[in-house]
Amino acid sequence: MDGTLLFQLTLNGLIVGALYGVVAMSFVLIYKASQVVNFAQGEFLLVGAWMCWWFLTEWQLPFVIGFLFTLVFMTLFGIILQVVVLRPLIGEPVISVIMATIGMGIFFQALMKWIFGVFAKPFPPVFTAERVSVLGLEVQTAYLLSLGISVAIMAGFGWFFRYSRHGLAMRATAFDQQVAQSLGISVPRVFAMSWAISAVVSAVAGVTVGMVNGVSSALSFYGIKVFPAVILGGLDSILGAVLGGLIVGVLENLAQYVDSQWLNWGNMYQVAPFYALLLILLIKPYGLFGTRNIERI
Amino acid sequence: MTVMTPAGDFRTSYRADTTIFPTRGSRAALWAGLAVLLCAPLVLDRYLLSLLINVGTLGIAALGLNILVGFTGQISIGHAAFFGFGAFSSAWLHESFGLPVLLCIPVAGLMTALVGLVFGAPAARLKGLYLAIATLAAQFILEDFFARARWFTGGVAGRLTESPAIGSFALDREESYFYLVLAFVIIMFVAAANLMRTRDGRALVAVRDHYLSAEIMGINLAYYRTLSFGIASFYAGIGGALYAHHLQFVSVEAFNILFSIQFLGMVIIGGLGSIMGSLMGAAFMVALPEVVQAAADALAGGAIDRALKIGGNISFLREMAIGAAIILFLIFEPDGLARRWKLIKAYWKLYPYSH
Amino acid sequence: MKTALAIAAAVALATPALAQQRIPVGHLMDNSGATSDVGVPYGQGVADTLAWVNQTRQGVAGRQLNVLGFDYGYQAPRAVSQYQSWTGRDRVVAIQGWGTADTEALVRFVNRDKIPFVSGSYSAALTDAGGKSGRQGVEASPYNFFFGPSYSDALRGMLRWAADDWKAKGGQGRPKYVHMGGNHPYPNSPKEAGEAMARELGFEVLPAIQFALTPGDYTSQCLTLKQQGANYAYLGNTAGSNISVLRACQTAGVQVQFMGNVWGMDENAMKAAGAAANGVVFPVRTQVVTGQDAPGMETIRAISRLSDPTGNVYRPVHYLAGACAAMLMVEAMDTAAANGGQVTGERIQRGFYERTNWVPKGFEGVCTPSTFTNEDHRGTMRVAIYRAVVSGDTSQGSVAELMRAGTMRLEPVTTVELERKRELLGW
Repeated sequence: MDGTLLFQLTLNGLIVGALYGVVAMSFVLIYKASQVVNFAQGEFLLVGAWMCWWFLTEWQLPFVIGFLFTLVFMTLFGIILQVVVLRPLIGEPVISVIMATIGMGIFFQALMKWIFGVFAKPFPPVFTAERVSVLGLEVQTAYLLSLGISVAIMAGFGWFFRYSRHGLAMRATAFDQQVAQSLGISVPRVFAMSWAISAVVSAVAGVTVGMVNGVSSALSFYGIKVFPAVILGGLDSILGAVLGGLIVGVLENLAQYVDSQWLNWGNMYQVAPFYALLLILLIKPYGLFGTRNIERI
Repeated sequence: MTVMTPAGDFRTSYRADTTIFPTRGSRAALWAGLAVLLCAPLVLDRYLLSLLINVGTLGIAALGLNILVGFTGQISIGHAAFFGFGAFSSAWLHESFGLPVLLCIPVAGLMTALVGLVFGAPAARLKGLYLAIATLAAQFILEDFFARARWFTGGVAGRLTESPAIGSFALDREESYFYLVLAFVIIMFVAAANLMRTRDGRALVAVRDHYLSAEIMGINLAYYRTLSFGIASFYAGIGGALYAHHLQFVSVEAFNILFSIQFLGMVIIGGLGSIMGSLMGAAFMVALPEVVQAAADALAGGAIDRALKIGGNISFLREMAIGAAIILFLIFEPDGLARRWKLIKAYWKLYPYSH
Repeated sequence: MKTALAIAAAVALATPALAQQRIPVGHLMDNSGATSDVGVPYGQGVADTLAWVNQTRQGVAGRQLNVLGFDYGYQAPRAVSQYQSWTGRDRVVAIQGWGTADTEALVRFVNRDKIPFVSGSYSAALTDAGGKSGRQGVEASPYNFFFGPSYSDALRGMLRWAADDWKAKGGQGRPKYVHMGGNHPYPNSPKEAGEAMARELGFEVLPAIQFALTPGDYTSQCLTLKQQGANYAYLGNTAGSNISVLRACQTAGVQVQFMGNVWGMDENAMKAAGAAANGVVFPVRTQVVTGQDAPGMETIRAISRLSDPTGNVYRPVHYLAGACAAMLMVEAMDTAAANGGQVTGERIQRGFYERTNWVPKGFEGVCTPSTFTNEDHRGTMRVAIYRAVVSGDTSQGSVAELMRAGTMRLEPVTTVELERKRELLGW
């Protein structure tokens, strides 16, 4: 047993997990509002990070402006995807909608590789101090910033859904589309808005990871990591998603610890969350915190 | 028995209602089509034959997935892993126990069916997106297993496989292997068509259409959902085994998530719940990269090629084409090629009075 | 109009005749898969060189080469199926290959079909041409060739250097060595050989650390590395994922001397990794790198201009290695075609044995001399070790500019000449 390593890995897991949480949150947002399971969530990170990289290196924009441009672009991107691809599929079976998002995922992943290549490209340095020491663990400043941003986004979501008009409209739509419509809520607008917000939030996560590891197609793997997180947290709970993300982050790192100390199998890091996922679905088919669907005939 | 389909429903028995080929015309077309296929190795070159063999092997596996997705309404994003399991099983059976390859293929199918039942049992409780996510996990777990289980798969280096032989005659060339695949395609597709005419087949469809109503009618949900997984895996296993002995090399790299998605793509493009559609979808997926390549070759050297750097990035173009094809079919032809085919047939039947 | 018709007719008549005469050669590349970071420059080097041969030397014995390129995305099954299509349809006489998994899978096929296969994989398992080593899992591979030291030999050379380095730095006790890489035939290839050599040299060998061939977040691996207290770590992957490890380890504050595989570091990776790549040592296969001068560099520049008329593109070490690998095949084909001989796979293979200390003509001072015999396909036992030196910000400017400014440098460290031990053949 090695206490420091265990501690550092756990801390690392929490930091990475917070990012998973943010991505999971934006995934749940789409699901809650429009009942669409978005298999292309990872590609939102990818597209966002590449766009930001492009603004910063090719256009030589200062970080803040480039970042804002990215957010604007992602808003449009989310809306366009929803309108062009998903709106025609309203009312189609689950499998069709899932496949459409998978198709988008493949398409954009390949497109990004085509445009930007497969090599990981580094962001220009944004912070003067590249890393900070947190309780003995050297952490990239960008990660710390992302932790702050994550908390801010989470708080923002909380406020949004509780007090803002649009947030309430979104909750109403999630609860019952017909009722919402009859109350004068424009359901298509709510759908588009949820995609836009989701794309923007994912892009923030994408830029953060890009700053730490460089931008590469590996970013889209975050989209896959979302699934264990949301199954843990329940598909319709925003807070659950955050919690799920944290758990998955820690789980990965603990798996790495167990692996490095005793098993030496390798790859446990990658697979452990999926074992956890299957296990949970075996015991609780609706996830740990998910609400059970009660169906009436 | 008439040549043309009658203009109304005049069937008087269940038997007539469930006939696969209702008219003499469709039977004649069947025999003609078969005759053409039997002659294919005489006229086509080896590359085109290997494409046809791919259509056959992938088509069998896609049919399995269609039984699961199109007929039972379950989802699987891990079909390639089962396909791979069949491929590895057959190679392993031949190498470790010296079974003749022709026997290995069906046994590999059975082994895969067993694994499918194991994964299908918990899946019986899940549906919709929870099932999709669970099968996604199965895909990654099986992939990891393939990379680790040296005794079974040869580890990450993969395993060489042998060609099947009948007596001393080895089916090691495309010309001869084609007939083997053709035989399997016919057996598997006829079996599936027959399955759908039985009580079990109708039960699967009932589960898809409304599972609660099905349960009320006395259909055991868990049993049929698990069964459907088993059947789908059996088909995947047979397809995988045929693939393994054709390529003569199996490696974990082939059976990745993208391949699973391609299987789903075949089912959707071919037509959910259509038996022949599975084959059409497979043919589409096999032809797509060839078309992309041909398009890129046509553009090669031109201004577009230089501007977009197509030459070195053809793989990305291929992947994009797969993604785009899936989306476009979902939006514009959600019932797939099978429906399009029916429409074309109907158009010519009524020509020139199509209104 | 008449002339146009005449030309069209002439072309129509001439094309089949020409096509018959052209020599079909396969070229497997990875332009899109896990190793495309290094596969692209290497493949470009091979393609440009073969095009240059066609253009300036009229191909082989007056017959143009018909180079059939295929991007297989580093998926061995796709390489195998492409191989079958090449042998069945195009009747290629030789193949320029790439990865370890596909090359090893194809060994039995190329033996059966007698097609020389020059791989980008330097797996030692491909060197046992006669199949006399008796090692488990190593088959006779008389048709497999590559340019450079095998992965195992390169690692042995670096370990030799590491042992001296440890003493020179005044290290106390036994240095610790760890193998890092993905679970894939390529990073696994030199694993056992390296660990055995390390033990022999007095290293303490730690349990290997795994990381995928794709870029990602490898902080947890670096934390493990730090806790193990390793002194020397071998990076078995290609540059793309190694960068991720180097950056993560830099952040985690890991003090370890990284030793890269031949494909594990290059000028592009130095730019991408920045200061994190500083100090990494790795073997270079050619005698010079771009920017240095040698008689053969003029030829390399001529080749480079085929795909880059401006002459401004920086050619990393892999491009040069690709050119040398392609030239070995071309000269072996020359030998096969000499005195009106047929250019068949079998004759090309024998062509590889014609010369000793073989440097392709026009590439003097660039390609390291190679010697192949019908039992031993270890072309060279010489391991030239270089160090990547990064002394500033690499995020702005192209690789060429950064190399010219000296912000990034490739610094020769030492050259280790290994003995050609019989018992290490195929390992």
